[in-house]
Amino acid sequence: MMSIDEAPILMTINAHRGNLRTKVIGGIMIVLAIFVILVFALGSPAGTHSQLTFDPVNTTDSPIRLGTLTVLTRWWNLILGLAMLGLGVEVFWRQPRRGVMARFGGVAVLLLLALLFWAVRTPGPSQVSYVNLTSIFVGSSEVVMVLIFGALSGVMCERSGVVNIAIEGQFIAGAFIGSIVASETNNFFYAAIVGAIAGGLIGLVLAFFSIRYLVDQIIVGIVIVTGIDFFSAYLNLQVFTPYPNLNVGNLAPNLPIPLLHKIPIVGPLFFNQSGFFYCMVIFVAVVSFALFKTRYGLHVRAVGEHPQAAATVGINVARVRYINVVLGGAIAGIGGVAFMASQGQFIPDYTSGFGYIALAAMIFGRWRPSGAVVASIIFGMTVYLAANLQEFSVPISGEILQMFPYLITIAVVAGLIGRVRPPAADGKPYIRD
Amino acid sequence: MRLELRGITKRFGSLTANDDISITVEPGQIHSLLGENGAGKSTLMNVLFGLLHPDEGEIIIDGVVTKFADSGEAVRRGIGMVHQHFMLVPVFSVTENVVLGFEPTKSLNRIDYKKATDDIRRVSKEFNLEVDPDAIVENLSVGIQQRVEILKALSHDAELLILDEPTAVLTPQEIDALMAIMRSLAASGKSILFITHKLKEVRAIADVITVIRHGKVVGTADPTASESDLASLMVGREVELTVQKDAYAPGESVFEIRDLVVRDDRGLVVVNGVSLDVYAGEILALAGVQGNGQTELVEAIAGMRPVESGTITMNGRDITNESPRKILDAGLGHIPEDRQRDGLVLTMSLADNLVLNTPRRPPFANHGTRNLGVVASHAEQLVKDFDIRATSVKEPASSLSGGNQQKVIVARELSRNIDFLVASQPTRGLDVGSIEYVHRQIVNHRNRGNGSLVVSSELDEVYALGDRIAVMYAGKISGIVDPSTSREDIGLLMAGTTAGTSSE
Repeated sequence: MMSIDEAPILMTINAHRGNLRTKVIGGIMIVLAIFVILVFALGSPAGTHSQLTFDPVNTTDSPIRLGTLTVLTRWWNLILGLAMLGLGVEVFWRQPRRGVMARFGGVAVLLLLALLFWAVRTPGPSQVSYVNLTSIFVGSSEVVMVLIFGALSGVMCERSGVVNIAIEGQFIAGAFIGSIVASETNNFFYAAIVGAIAGGLIGLVLAFFSIRYLVDQIIVGIVIVTGIDFFSAYLNLQVFTPYPNLNVGNLAPNLPIPLLHKIPIVGPLFFNQSGFFYCMVIFVAVVSFALFKTRYGLHVRAVGEHPQAAATVGINVARVRYINVVLGGAIAGIGGVAFMASQGQFIPDYTSGFGYIALAAMIFGRWRPSGAVVASIIFGMTVYLAANLQEFSVPISGEILQMFPYLITIAVVAGLIGRVRPPAADGKPYIRD
Repeated sequence: MRLELRGITKRFGSLTANDDISITVEPGQIHSLLGENGAGKSTLMNVLFGLLHPDEGEIIIDGVVTKFADSGEAVRRGIGMVHQHFMLVPVFSVTENVVLGFEPTKSLNRIDYKKATDDIRRVSKEFNLEVDPDAIVENLSVGIQQRVEILKALSHDAELLILDEPTAVLTPQEIDALMAIMRSLAASGKSILFITHKLKEVRAIADVITVIRHGKVVGTADPTASESDLASLMVGREVELTVQKDAYAPGESVFEIRDLVVRDDRGLVVVNGVSLDVYAGEILALAGVQGNGQTELVEAIAGMRPVESGTITMNGRDITNESPRKILDAGLGHIPEDRQRDGLVLTMSLADNLVLNTPRRPPFANHGTRNLGVVASHAEQLVKDFDIRATSVKEPASSLSGGNQQKVIVARELSRNIDFLVASQPTRGLDVGSIEYVHRQIVNHRNRGNGSLVVSSELDEVYALGDRIAVMYAGKISGIVDPSTSREDIGLLMAGTTAGTSSE
């Protein structure tokens, strides 16, 4: 009996194609590395220094001091550039099967670091111009957190086959309502609950139109975002302007974890954060576990990949989608509250585009919670640096840097960097017979 | 399991898809349900599998009247279904696919993969269905994927297996393997309901044959019944199973393909150095299991897909990478594989569809203005000539049956003065009557001294039409043979064994 296996020729060609993509990624990494070496390293005059500090701004919190590190810009950036080059050459040459994206992420972070060193370079040792890495990490962690909330929401919805482009709207709704609740009760837990309900209800609207009436999910999503955007601006004028006491939510307090928060760098970053941050960490773990380890997660992924197959083994496709879209909406709603709580109050248009960057982070993270976290860190740091670059008087316009996440996303979606494959039934309505 | 369907009736609006159907399947029996496409077989199976609810009638399992709320319940009651289009999630492993919906769990709702894998190993050993539980389904061949489907049904303790057109995508060797599996399952006491429209297979494997037509049971037959008896029972009239052809008298080469390389939508090379010649007055039948590059080859010929390298020449004229319009004007007739996507504009009228390839030219249009009177009278004429069953030439193409839609395409392509015809799966999904008709039209075209390339994954069709048979495998031509070659040998070519060599 001869067995008929997959066409061998096609398989080899397939593999070859994969190698080509990996080579392109490696090539891009090498180009970035050479750029760093030429501009940031060799472009810095020989005597210039960059100063680094790791101590938090609020020094009372950290008994352990690391002091400042003064480095020669040229040589350090050369080292960073060579490290990038090493990673790039390795990817280009060896074409590892796994971890290509992680290496690419590493190169992106090194690039940002080199940019910082270059930006704060001074002709000689100086006490004024320095990079506080810890404060950069902590500062960007707020944006990163919000993006992770959004990206997780996207993962929840899209894994079940519904495109949630309304994350931005859920952010806005969560921030708006969260601000009222936090102002009135001064309790951020209640604010989070109400924000989750608001986001979940928007998710329900999206689910209802796209599952029950099979309306194009992107159109429903855009209608929701646009509607909520203007409605919140209207309510802002009608409610918050006459009653400003409803919009003084204040900043969510940091909840330092005993002892752990005193560890340098790691402490302020991970163990001296608001409750929303810890909540986000738990959500990432729970969603990751639920999607890939549990029975329910298998059902969700089956529904997102091949709803008919799921239906034939008795899985209720519509139910799974409703549940996931509502839960995903709730997560994004909490993300909105978290954003409000990091700003102190609701400001119209303040979330401008974070929902879309979160969506991009989800795609860049290949529809996985872990990938979404990595992508959110890269995108979040970029957004933060873009907004704060003036501090360092860098001759790069912040607006240009703000394009970075979108440029990466386009490259990813176009298949230039790595192979992304959305859930097969993503965005497609399921019609029973 | 003893299954009895009693008086099942299912209506969709005014259409009665199943009309008072009664069938009994005994334990250990292979019961064939024979009927044409559209006869109501699939509807009946969906009713039995809990995907649809019957309007009347009952399902009786081992003497107990049963109702299924959904297919999960049907599965729990011991009914397993192997769908024509596999219900497998391509990116999941074999294990994940098999346990889906019935996962063994540990604490925290976690799936117990170890137990799942062990169960699969045990079942696959018990029924001799070897498969790697950790393999990702999309990396498996179609035959193995089908094995996974069967395994999935068996591991849910199915006592009755429904196989819906299981051979449509298999090579002859894979069909033999499937039949061996079916026999051994029946021998171990499982009941099998085998749905098909292929007469040869029914006769080879069935214990009992029930024939349905237009939603009704029209009779039962023994597997000893002759093919033509079964065919006339299925169609409701005498049918000719073979097409009369004039003697084979090839002329000079009218169509040449040299070293053609074409990529698919994902950018993979799927036509990899194909060379073919077609002579005047012959039909070259291109056989092969679906997905070996035939689709892309035909698209490249018709100008619908870019050619990476190589040439296509028709009547001495290079048509490589020309636009479809230029290729059609040069005299190519094209019957596309997916008639509803590439052959017709379903929302447009029959008349407009009949001039789809020549709408801008006189007499159908003058100076950029359409001549609707001529279009309509042209349509009336073709409807008459090609026996298209339609109430009016103004009705949209979507309102026609599949057979009549195909007749519209055949009429449009063959009524024009063309030099060369390329037809891809020209009778897929058609009833026997329409198949007969389409075949006769293609043969007439050949008898007039024209060349044709007919791509088909149905061996019956390949034998019925081909003056020579080329076989495609993995993007290459694995052999070109005479129609006197046996099915087994062509089967080997379809599986990639090149001509001259053979394995056991």
